[in-house]
Amino acid sequence: MRLRRGKGSRMEIKSYEDLNGLEIDTLKEIGSIGTGNAATALSQMIGKEVRITLPEVRIMGYNEAIEWIGGPEAITAGVLSQLGGEINGIMLSVQQMDFINLVLSNVLGKPVSDFNMLREMEISTLVEVGNIMISTFINALSGLADISIRLTVPAFAVDMQGAILTVPMAAYGGQSDYIMTIGGNFVCDGRQVPCRLLLSPDIRSLNFLLRKLGVMDE
Amino acid sequence: MNDKLIVGIADMKLAQDGEKLITYALGSCIGICLYEPNRRLAALIHIMLPLNMETGRKNTFKYADTGIRATLREMEMKGACRAAITAKIAGGARMFEVSGGSLGNIGQRNGESVRQILKMEKIRLAWEDVGGTVARTMEFDGATGNGTIRSYGYPEIKF
Repeated sequence: MRLRRGKGSRMEIKSYEDLNGLEIDTLKEIGSIGTGNAATALSQMIGKEVRITLPEVRIMGYNEAIEWIGGPEAITAGVLSQLGGEINGIMLSVQQMDFINLVLSNVLGKPVSDFNMLREMEISTLVEVGNIMISTFINALSGLADISIRLTVPAFAVDMQGAILTVPMAAYGGQSDYIMTIGGNFVCDGRQVPCRLLLSPDIRSLNFLLRKLGVMDE
Repeated sequence: MNDKLIVGIADMKLAQDGEKLITYALGSCIGICLYEPNRRLAALIHIMLPLNMETGRKNTFKYADTGIRATLREMEMKGACRAAITAKIAGGARMFEVSGGSLGNIGQRNGESVRQILKMEKIRLAWEDVGGTVARTMEFDGATGNGTIRSYGYPEIKF
């Protein structure tokens, strides 16, 4: 463990894998509140009850993360916003087909069977849903930790999910060999739909966040 | 087709007996195929970032500079002649149009770095498909030094 310690308590982590149990529990709690709020927002948009399963915080190697999300070549949609202000990071809503059809069948009344059927109307719906979930999550986070966070205008892509997931990896690749993700699953109509809402803060921001939440010494 | 050697992210594999090499879903990352025809020695590197500035410079294959140099050394150790090695590269896409920040141009910087390192190492760049906005899966035949690029929604490209 590469920790700097002072008076028996740690001051700062250097890499995601240095997080201890208390810190991971704190991040899980954030994930829980954030995805809970995002589920409420989603529920209002699609007019159906949406619950979330227990969210998880995962710290994974690059190749492990890509297997976890379902392999590198599967096509998926992604909505991405960059975080600025007191925290730097990336928030990504990875929308697999199940999720897309949960949204489209309830909002537009028409599901799609393939990604190449996504037209302007479908895409703007998915961007809006991704954007609202990301903003709700970030609002909850900023309220909990009393910090101000700016979000960039969301960007959208449909492509191999391996390449979409490497965007946050490459952004912080110089700092860590691991990627941290916070997320959970939505449950709607008795079905589990994976909610791949991923928050990847940079290491400095993660330290700042944990200090603000009082689980790490000043 | 089950004997393909899979190259992960920040990884490199050598094909010494004409095996096929494959690396999946290159976004802003770059796949670098190095081939020495006399020894029929092939290598595929999947780099993620342009320059290794980590302390200790481990994680060799995460970066263009240390990744290419370490691979060339390894090929030479297996009997490859430096002057005969050629390179073919693909990747370096911009997956998301994000305004501002350095996120958007990681792919471009990767491309510039790979070209520069190859030039410094006097390796001829025989072919490239770098940039754009789509992910690429790169397959490289260690027997011939040729390969294919697969992208979503586009026809396959041979190189």
